[in-house]
Amino acid sequence: MNRRQFLKTASSAGIIATSGIAPLLMDAYAFSNNANLSKVEARYYKKLPEREIECILCPRFCKLGDKERGYCGVRENKGGTYYTLVYGKACSVHVDPIEKKPFFHFLPQSRTLSIASAGCNVNCKFCQNWEISQVRPEQIHHIDFPPDIVVASALKNKCPIIAYTYSEPIVFYEYMYDTSIKARKEGIKNVVVTAGHINPEPLEDLTKVVDAIKVDLKAFTQDFYKNYVRGKLESVLEAIKIIAKNKIWMEIVYLVIPTLNDNAEKIREMCQWILKELGPDIPIHFSRFYPAYLLKNLPPTPISTLEKAHSIALEEGIHYAYVGNVPGHKSESTYCHNCKKRIINRIGYYIQEINIKGGKCKFCKTPIPGIWT
Amino acid sequence: MFSPLQRKLSYTAWNKAIIYFNCSHQTFYLLFIFLIPVDKISSDHTFLHRTPGLLTWNKHKSIFSYVIMPKVIVIKEKEVLFPDGSVNKKKLVEMYRLGFSILTGQKKIKDSIYFLFNEGEKIGIKINTIGGKKLSTRPEVSLCLANELTRSNIQGKNILIWDRTNRELKDAGYRLNMSRNDIQVYGTDTKGVGYNNSIVSHLNIGSLLSSIQSDIIDFSISLAILKDHGLAGVTAGIKNYFGAIHNPNKYHDSNCNPYIAEVFDIPSIRKKHRLSILDCLMIQYNYGPSFHSRWIEKYESLVFSMDPVAADCIGWNIIEKIRAKKGLPSLSEEKREPFYLKTAEKMGLGEANINNIELLEEEV
Repeated sequence: MNRRQFLKTASSAGIIATSGIAPLLMDAYAFSNNANLSKVEARYYKKLPEREIECILCPRFCKLGDKERGYCGVRENKGGTYYTLVYGKACSVHVDPIEKKPFFHFLPQSRTLSIASAGCNVNCKFCQNWEISQVRPEQIHHIDFPPDIVVASALKNKCPIIAYTYSEPIVFYEYMYDTSIKARKEGIKNVVVTAGHINPEPLEDLTKVVDAIKVDLKAFTQDFYKNYVRGKLESVLEAIKIIAKNKIWMEIVYLVIPTLNDNAEKIREMCQWILKELGPDIPIHFSRFYPAYLLKNLPPTPISTLEKAHSIALEEGIHYAYVGNVPGHKSESTYCHNCKKRIINRIGYYIQEINIKGGKCKFCKTPIPGIWT
Repeated sequence: MFSPLQRKLSYTAWNKAIIYFNCSHQTFYLLFIFLIPVDKISSDHTFLHRTPGLLTWNKHKSIFSYVIMPKVIVIKEKEVLFPDGSVNKKKLVEMYRLGFSILTGQKKIKDSIYFLFNEGEKIGIKINTIGGKKLSTRPEVSLCLANELTRSNIQGKNILIWDRTNRELKDAGYRLNMSRNDIQVYGTDTKGVGYNNSIVSHLNIGSLLSSIQSDIIDFSISLAILKDHGLAGVTAGIKNYFGAIHNPNKYHDSNCNPYIAEVFDIPSIRKKHRLSILDCLMIQYNYGPSFHSRWIEKYESLVFSMDPVAADCIGWNIIEKIRAKKGLPSLSEEKREPFYLKTAEKMGLGEANINNIELLEEEV
């Protein structure tokens, strides 16, 4: 079995493999026929003359004629009305620890029901999940998993959090939004894992229904965004500022790719920008790159490079910087920025020890930014 | 001493063959040939693209034949469409026969077909059905071509009419046929077909190829409908191969340039492409690629060329002429001229300068 076949199977079988969730889904929902796409009217688009539309969800502003799909591949103009084809159509469902997203300052050790649909509105050459993000929904297996059932599954599986993740949740905005509202009514929190390539208006609306957002800041140069992401850095930075302004808990991940975005001065510049615009309490994760998708020619990031980035962040005054994708590294753990003592001891996604009480360092009583209860 | 059509060239092929000759219309004088397994050279389309002519061994007639390149043939037939818009199949057959005859310099259709294809090769006819019944390669047009191939002793089982999905094929009026003994019609999403497992990474392209394109067919005819395109400017024979990859939606930025040329340049596409035929019976000359009845022009033509870039260039020119006639601004004025054609030319895929294309327009 090759990778693609494996992923096709795994995206379906992921549900079965997920403890507790399988019986519910197997009872209620059989695997959908691939052609069984949703036809729910999309939000954030303008109707234009001659059955054309302009999508205003993300900074691409796709202008589409009848029968055409947007860059994301999951939204289609049918006769002058724009539809999302993936509403309630999950291609990946799994229960993960929240640390896997990664969120290190948001309800540590919580089980998270994680869902995704096909599609993405950028095209990162280093995408780890390209088998679901860079395909159209009819090209992979998906299940009917409407918002009600997502929330019921989270409750049944004792997940206090639903994560919209794996591919790019912005492209299944309506599904995510409606699920978030239903989840909140049941006391379940919502977290979003995104590249942040979204327009201000939909993002403002989204911040009203979700509790935390992790943004992948892919680099700090527009050249990188143009050549390796096919997106706009400026839009992502704007999105980050909007999230901060709306006081939604945010963590930033920076995947460090050898030779492409590992320039120390650029990383320093990014840290200075974060400090200036967001303050010192937004955690930054410097994650290790592994060869994938169209960048298989590069080696994994040297750990020394990650450590250098980590130390730059601390030097610049960022309080919480992490090294990611290096299980067992000491900088996976959280250290109080005041007394420097280890307050969360992590190994990979697993937590060995927590020394935070009432949101404060157990040793020096300094408040630790984050959502802890 | 030489007419404008006379060419003199030297060419070093992969086997260090040197061809040196001059030509005039359909006759040629072979001055010097050194070490040429011509039949093999002709099977590599790179040769077609990078020389102004094709010297090939015609197995059927056991002679060398030469065709001047780039040559584009526009065949017109004023009565190919009945007043109700349906196709006069008899006239269509005549259009194909005349087109193949002029293109290859062969009198008989059978000789023309064997000039282009060898016996036993599986021929894919890549059509474009994204526009639904009103704006896709018509079933009559592709089936007529397939029938002409079978009449020339290409076995039906070696002909596959295909596109991206069965749904789109059916919506465009095609009847699916997966019979192994007949002309086949099906899409990449047919069970057991699908896309290749490994991603093709080529220049700016990262895509999965339809296994029809990569594995099932040996050679390809791009039989696209010519249309205006809001982003690319024009969609025709080269862009038709966006239907051979799994993620065409990723390649519409910056007027689809350089992506259209780069997708075509994927070896499994470029090397298998033998012929472009543009369905120009009805042309959407504005607000494409979607169907809009007020911008449809009856044109009743087929365009033939072995140079995929030259064919599309002539297609562009046709659209511009219709737009000018209708008082519309040119695609250049709308900042959406098909820039990808120049890119394709720079990549050595064909001729994009209309002044260097030999255009032959004939009426049946």
